[in-house]
Amino acid sequence: MIEKILIANRGEIAVRIIRACREMGIETVAVYSEADKEALHTQLADEAICIGPAPSSESYLNMERIISATLISGADAIHPGFGFLSENSKFAELCEQCNITFIGPSSEVIRKMGNKSEARNTMIAAGVPVTPGSTEPIYDAADGVETAAQIGYPVIIKAALGGGGKGMRVAETPEEFESSFNTAQKEAQMAFGDNTMYIEHYVQHPRHIEFQILADQYGNVVHLGERDCSIQRNHQKMIEESPSIALSDELRRRMGEAAVRAAKAAGYTNAGTIEFLLENNNNFYFMEMNTRIQVEHPVTEWVTGIDLVKEQIRIADGQKLGVTQDQIQIKGHAIECRINAENPAKNFRPSPGTITDMYLPGGKGVRIDSAIYSGYTVTPYYDSMLAKLIVYAANRKEAIRKMQSALGEVIIEGIDTNVDYQYEILNNPDFIAGNIDVGFIENLNS
Amino acid sequence: MILKDMFKKTNRENRVSNRESRPEVPDGLLRKCNKCGGTIIADDVKKGLYICPLCHGYFRVPAYRRIEMIADEGSFEEWDREMEFQNPLAFRGYEEKVKKLRETTDLNEAVVTGKISIGGTETVVAVCDGRFLMASMGEIVGEKITRAVERATEEKLPVIIFACSGGARMQEGMVSLMQMAKTSAALKRHSDAGLLYISVLTDPTTGGVTASFAMLGDIILAEPKALIGFAGPRVIEQTIGEKLPKGFQRSEFLLEHGFIDRIVEREEMRDVLNQILKMHRKAAAGNAEEKWHLESAAEEQPDKDRKTGTESVSHGQENSSRAAVSSLKAWDRVQISRKKDRPVGEDYIQALFDDFMEFHGDRYYKDDRAIVGGIGWFHGEPVTVIAQAKGKTTKENISHNFGMPSPDGYRKALRLMKQAEKFGRPIICFVDTPGAFCGLEAEERGQGEAIARNLYEMSSIQVPILSIVIGEGGSGGALAMAVADEVWMLENAVYSILSPEGFASILWKDSKRADEAAEIMKLTAEDLKNMGIIEKIIREPSDFTCDKMVKVCSRLEKRISAFLEKYEALDASELVSRRYDRFRRM
Repeated sequence: MIEKILIANRGEIAVRIIRACREMGIETVAVYSEADKEALHTQLADEAICIGPAPSSESYLNMERIISATLISGADAIHPGFGFLSENSKFAELCEQCNITFIGPSSEVIRKMGNKSEARNTMIAAGVPVTPGSTEPIYDAADGVETAAQIGYPVIIKAALGGGGKGMRVAETPEEFESSFNTAQKEAQMAFGDNTMYIEHYVQHPRHIEFQILADQYGNVVHLGERDCSIQRNHQKMIEESPSIALSDELRRRMGEAAVRAAKAAGYTNAGTIEFLLENNNNFYFMEMNTRIQVEHPVTEWVTGIDLVKEQIRIADGQKLGVTQDQIQIKGHAIECRINAENPAKNFRPSPGTITDMYLPGGKGVRIDSAIYSGYTVTPYYDSMLAKLIVYAANRKEAIRKMQSALGEVIIEGIDTNVDYQYEILNNPDFIAGNIDVGFIENLNS
Repeated sequence: MILKDMFKKTNRENRVSNRESRPEVPDGLLRKCNKCGGTIIADDVKKGLYICPLCHGYFRVPAYRRIEMIADEGSFEEWDREMEFQNPLAFRGYEEKVKKLRETTDLNEAVVTGKISIGGTETVVAVCDGRFLMASMGEIVGEKITRAVERATEEKLPVIIFACSGGARMQEGMVSLMQMAKTSAALKRHSDAGLLYISVLTDPTTGGVTASFAMLGDIILAEPKALIGFAGPRVIEQTIGEKLPKGFQRSEFLLEHGFIDRIVEREEMRDVLNQILKMHRKAAAGNAEEKWHLESAAEEQPDKDRKTGTESVSHGQENSSRAAVSSLKAWDRVQISRKKDRPVGEDYIQALFDDFMEFHGDRYYKDDRAIVGGIGWFHGEPVTVIAQAKGKTTKENISHNFGMPSPDGYRKALRLMKQAEKFGRPIICFVDTPGAFCGLEAEERGQGEAIARNLYEMSSIQVPILSIVIGEGGSGGALAMAVADEVWMLENAVYSILSPEGFASILWKDSKRADEAAEIMKLTAEDLKNMGIIEKIIREPSDFTCDKMVKVCSRLEKRISAFLEKYEALDASELVSRRYDRFRRM
């Protein structure tokens, strides 16, 4: 029985987890870096332990210190949130060795899904569609160019250990291939210390559609519908919604089944996400599996009525799933906008500083997940996301209006934010009409 | 807004805990770094190189793991694993202690010996293990090392010893002391057979081990920050009643004091050992030479094609600038030879030799940065390269003492030359010094003796020596690296009894008349060639800087190649007697 959880994260997700714990009567331990002494999660938790200086490598990424803090505080589980150590199989393994419940899948699954070629092969074996691509790791451009020719241009070159757009390049033609490959590989070596690359067909104008799944320790797996995360800049999502306007009930059923098959093939437990690329001919391809809670989980929570963080804790605690697939109903429409401390006019440059004043909207169907308050200082050390604004309404049209209205009320003084930029997107005719793909922002800015 | 203590916490009243088990760290999963105090995952350290991921401090490495780190996989063949316990003093409790250690470690004694290969080169290896009575040297340790060295001598193999020791083994009294002599004697025989011994010092190397096999390497490497000394720091402090300076007796201190050749990070150890072994592998050098000849023959092809057109054009250009250069006065050349942007010794090393590995220290007192020496590959053949070193910036120049060597520098040069002689490597010296360092410390440590010793020893070194004056050839300080089979000069280099300023001030009591002095001193390459003091002049472009080195170096390369071919063909006595005659004529 989990009685006390240490939250190995910061910011709004840490706050989100603390709130779920409180509802469940579970005590909470926050960990914080020296830069986060005044942070909301530090103040909100029942206990807080400082785990080191501001740089993440010495605090939120320092496994040994987080394990020590868990033992000292007497917590019996760790919730890793997203980012930081959430998809670090070594960390999950350490938790397993120390008899600490890691709220997420097993270290073995994290490792397997974290390695892109291994994940892909697992999916191929499970009959989940994947984009045509290299079956073997590729280490040099000369080998790559042959494979690329077989796959068909355009191709995308990716780092096997990659993420967040690093070590990733598109080559439209064979002529471009060598330089794209070399740049991507160099980046991969720098960012991940590994130069294993692979190549796949570059799906043009796809939507980013991901399926939320839940799996318990007894082999039960359900999906909670999709999220359309096509509005993204440099592979960083900005707006997410559920359901997607692009999916018919039939396609949702097919993709959902594929997602469940994928989770089963991976031997998955806990909450996870299967990301697909959806072409406009309704072909879909497995992209990757995220073995953690997602930033955009609230939109799914709203259309299904299921609290994903609480489910995560229940599953980690050995409880069976409370719902079956046919009990899950997608109802209404939810949209999330990420509010970041950045300046869109200056190429989205991060904008740390002190929030001198603020006002955030509320009312029926408006949810704010954030960790900011008036007088809070945004540090330059971490991610620039300040808050998530989520709205819920009966249908997409109403949801868009509600989001427009809510964004219009957001006031954050003292630092630059992307609120106005988001407001413009919400008023963009293509967005309103649902004509979106992953190239939306790029087209908007060019 | 300050939020401290503003929020209500989770209600913990009436909480009945029904936990079945609690998290705990299994034994040995985490440990504290004894250097930075940080908590680290023990397994990561053991699977890696025994380095703290937080502070990069080095932990002591068990012998078998050390062998894994450096040896080709599966190449280790252990020798004398089981040795019968000896208790020469019938020391009480000693046997039980050793027995217990044999049970708790995977060791039979404090050293593991055998044969491995590194990058395909076979070598004998002995590795001390600090877990076993601090790897102190008792009879068995001494015996195993001696046997390994003897067998290496027999099988004509190099020896690598990783030292780590508290010193002699007290429980064995005088028998332990004798191991120092025994191991040293075995190494002398090994050396007399012309074989290579690389000593690697790890933390800690002290007492009788330092004072025997550890300090006898042809090449002595050390891990960073290792404690290396004869008397332990605590003993010294108690004896002299003073606190020792920070860093005293650490590898870096020893490097500075000339006792070790190189500090090698653990990550690079295998590569460095591999390179050193290859540099001393005679048969392989021969092969490489042959291979190089084939390659260079292929490369020469386009050169010949070019001769028809381009070569003649460039000849023309050079001839016109040649005229300008040859009209230079001696004093102009003196000034050119001293120019700040003129290529210096290290530039030639970079340009002419592959994978140059520098070796430091005179093994007496200091590593003099005014002389840089080591081994590099020339056309697939290892050669010893020694250069008087100037810098390009003031900071660099200060560190190289403006190219003015101290006695320690000459002693380092001689040590490296003697080493080259032992392993049959030719020696190439680059001369560029205003003169030997003139100062109190230099006199205290015998500047005159050091120069004299080099002239004396170089005259009979049994491998070819080539000296190239690339800038200033300042007097005895230059000659101490120029008792060679041939001496060449760059076109605008100078080589003289004294600086023109000094000359003018001694003869005319007026150093301002240096330009006048330069003319009559006959110090230019051309003058010296006419006088038969040097053999060759290497043409150089006007305004000679590093970016114009390609042509000069390709000339040098061809000529060095021809030099080596000519002199390596001679047998040693012929070589030495010719060198004798060369100076006998003067």
